Amino acid sequence: MATTVLRIAVSELCEQDELSHSLLLEMVQYDIARPVAGSSIEDWVFDATTAHWLKKALRLRRDLELDWVAVAMLIDLLRERERLDQENQQLRHRLGRFLEDDGQ
Amino acid sequence: MEFKDYYQILGVAPEAETSEIKAAYRRLARKYHPDLNPEKDAEEKFKEVAEAWEVLKEDNRRAEYDELRRYGGKHRQHFEPPPGWRSATGGDFQHFGGDFSEFFQSIFGGGFGEGPGGVWRQFDARGQDIEIQMPVFLEETVADTRKQVNYEIPAMDRDSLGSIKKTLNVTIPAGVTDGERIRVRGQGAPGQGKAPPGDLYLHIRLVPHPLFDVEGHNLLITVPVAPWEAALGTKVMVPTLEGKISLTIASGSKSGQKLRVRGKGLVGKTGKGDLLAVLKVVMPPLVSREVQDLWRQLSEKAAFDPRAGWGSK
Repeated sequence: MATTVLRIAVSELCEQDELSHSLLLEMVQYDIARPVAGSSIEDWVFDATTAHWLKKALRLRRDLELDWVAVAMLIDLLRERERLDQENQQLRHRLGRFLEDDGQ
Repeated sequence: MEFKDYYQILGVAPEAETSEIKAAYRRLARKYHPDLNPEKDAEEKFKEVAEAWEVLKEDNRRAEYDELRRYGGKHRQHFEPPPGWRSATGGDFQHFGGDFSEFFQSIFGGGFGEGPGGVWRQFDARGQDIEIQMPVFLEETVADTRKQVNYEIPAMDRDSLGSIKKTLNVTIPAGVTDGERIRVRGQGAPGQGKAPPGDLYLHIRLVPHPLFDVEGHNLLITVPVAPWEAALGTKVMVPTLEGKISLTIASGSKSGQKLRVRGKGLVGKTGKGDLLAVLKVVMPPLVSREVQDLWRQLSEKAAFDPRAGWGSK
């Protein structure tokens, strides 16, 4: 049975992605990621969803040679699109229940 | 192996200036970046484009490539670097942690194994994280649930990039929500050299339920009611994820009205959500003349204009 985890500690995140504390701090300052726990950077803990966006942000910055402001805006928009797609799907489904024929 | 024409991949002339090549790379990188383009083949295209840029952006490396291109032009399909070839410009490659084509590695290194010019340097790179969609039924969010996951991880199969099918048993924690991601440590793509594997990310997608919809941690259920039930009030048995409950519908209820039943929703991190019963007034079929007469009597006595709000115009 593989272990599933909802959170990732800063030490593991930095080790995995060769990410420095200062780079991580920048991402938090630009609101690309928000720790869910930890008062100092060494103790920060992120949830898996944030880790996913954080890694995406790193790749986009590196591969498209973007600055942090652009990356932050891009991540915001991508997140928002994902949320809206999800909401749209849910609302369509709910609307379908209301619009279906009364014959059921 | 096939010779890769990096100029053709970027759509530029072999004599193009670096600035022109850079512009072409930027345009194509924006188009095919797998974080921006969900198409299946986007990642492969992006890797090709990034590899081409990695080679052509530096004058020395480009000069080396141009030399090989002149030589390799005659052997497009079955290219091998010249005997004794060893690149003087291999080194710090940026994209995909050194995940380059066999063609690239045979020229510039960045992989590991026996090359034409001897043994290449060992390249340690952590394996890629892999994300897959994980359909989860609403009933499975009530408590920790064990599920089997089948997925594919990229792997080198002799000379070409193939994939290995993998099966895992994982625990989906209670209270997961639609769109949330959970991590399975070390179950992503294998690392190169001595580096560890990547992680597997499960993107939770709640499977549409035949009865319930989800709004945060609240569950919504559409409750069909007859016009007289809405008018006079009634009690109906309504299903929840944990059995049926009795719901009181007040007289004079309307279609679309929501009735909240506290604590009968989904498990959340801060407690349980609510069940929202949404009333939907449905019309019965006109089964007999007698029923039709009763509707007629009602229309005469009720004196109700549902479109009064439209005004007289």
